Amino acid sequence: MSDELDRIRREMHSVLQPEGVRPDDSLKITRRTFIHGSLVFGAATVGQAFAWWPLLNTLDIAHAAETPFKFAWISDTHLYPRSLNTRFVDKVVRAAQEVQAMDPPADFLIFGGDLAQLGKIEELELGVDLLKEIKIPKHYIPGEHDWYLDMGKKWGELFGQPNWTFDHKGVRFIGLDTVSRGPDYWTAKNMTPEERMGHMATLDGTVAGPWAGVGRDQLDWMEKTLADWDKQRPVVIFSHNPLYEYYPPWNFWVRDWREVHEVLKPYAKVTNIHGHVHQVLYNEIGTLRSIGMLATSWPWPYAPEGLPKLTKPMIRVDPGDPYDGVGWSKIDVAANDQLETEYIMWGRKEVFVQSPEDHDKHVSEVIRPRIADNMWPYR
Amino acid sequence: MTTHSKIRCSLRRFGLVGGIAIAAVFAGPTSAHKDPVKQEQLKLYQEVFMEEVRKGDLLFHGDQKMAEQLGVADDLSKTGMACAMCHPMASDTHPQSFPKFQAQIAKFATLRDMINWCIEKPNQGVKIDPESEAMKALEAYITWSNTGSVLQPGKF
Ligand SMILES: [Fe+2]
Ligand SMILES: [Fe+2]
Repeated sequence: MSDELDRIRREMHSVLQPEGVRPDDSLKITRRTFIHGSLVFGAATVGQAFAWWPLLNTLDIAHAAETPFKFAWISDTHLYPRSLNTRFVDKVVRAAQEVQAMDPPADFLIFGGDLAQLGKIEELELGVDLLKEIKIPKHYIPGEHDWYLDMGKKWGELFGQPNWTFDHKGVRFIGLDTVSRGPDYWTAKNMTPEERMGHMATLDGTVAGPWAGVGRDQLDWMEKTLADWDKQRPVVIFSHNPLYEYYPPWNFWVRDWREVHEVLKPYAKVTNIHGHVHQVLYNEIGTLRSIGMLATSWPWPYAPEGLPKLTKPMIRVDPGDPYDGVGWSKIDVAANDQLETEYIMWGRKEVFVQSPEDHDKHVSEVIRPRIADNMWPYR
Repeated sequence: MTTHSKIRCSLRRFGLVGGIAIAAVFAGPTSAHKDPVKQEQLKLYQEVFMEEVRKGDLLFHGDQKMAEQLGVADDLSKTGMACAMCHPMASDTHPQSFPKFQAQIAKFATLRDMINWCIEKPNQGVKIDPESEAMKALEAYITWSNTGSVLQPGKF
């Protein structure tokens, strides 16, 4: 781990993880098979990753959700025009059919961003079209791939305000926009909208920089939005990026995570559900718990460093199978506020690693950032 | 060579016979034609290498212009997928593990075999010539990205 990252990580822990502070235990992550006798492995690399995995149970709590309900999550569909890539289309069709077929039905769908691949009108409209299959209410937040061709113009026309809030059966839901406040890397270099989008659409690019953030204005909005909410009642926050620091070079973070946690600190039961990482991810920061969701398009590998210790990693996927390592999620909210997340990873009985050999970091590697996007004569 | 003559001059002080004998050891036979490596040469070799890394980096990230320049624009991908979409910073490419039995191809394979498999399967493109500049550039970028990785040949 680099010294700088190590320093920040230690700071994050001392600021947000004072001794004895944990989120309440009302969360469960399953793929039916989750409670499995495989929590401990021999190899240190993988074994370490499980050392802190919380044993799950429920707590008595003062305010319960009024009635149990489910909702569904789809994100990171990364649609190209239909004529270019049909696999991505097929997978959205499948996810949409499965969400629509839920019985009992989900109360609503959250779409967690990166609907389009290059922010084109055609791609965004294709997404809207494919998701019409789902008849329950749908709520959208933007991803960076949706935004940086026209700076959110088309997205706004289709979906309205990128941040929002609503209450549902005793739970306050908040959708955040963590993508639109990137630093201006395009004006000084006279980039075309396509060039701007191209840099933003490259996860390991070095030009777009630390674009993920909530922003002071939106933090103030969130603080106001929560002001009248009982601090013991459940809050669920949706964001495209994780609300903590995992791996900044890929924007697996928001740069103002410290401020986010200042706002959320008083609330006892906050769950953040996020996209962007295209992988199974779990973390706890102070009283906030955080769950990363699968993409339908393709899985990202785990970052070279910073994978939260609490994450039980997902299984190493078969690159020859476009339906492996991807899917969507069901979230159950029980009457005792217990949240149960189920990853629907297509074609996999076991979502989580079953042995050290099944971890994608089983072959150890030391890698470094690319250079060609930041060097002459690159346009 | 400047260095040689300097040494010879200083050795002269120790007498003619010894001087000649030592000079012969340093300068080699008169028919020899090899020169020591020069900093300028190393710099040039490194520049050649880094230029291929740069080209490979662009191909790996789906740069259409570079693909055209190297004559593989119609081959590398037909779905908009680029290598870097599953392998940011060339992660999970594992050049240090080749050659090895590669389950997806069901044969003993080199990194170039695997690159072509990825072009054909996930990218739904057309295999490229394993000896082409495009292939060598991709190989250069992938191995350069893994500069710190330790060789683990055969590891799947
Ligand atoms: Fe994404
Ligand atoms: Fe994203």
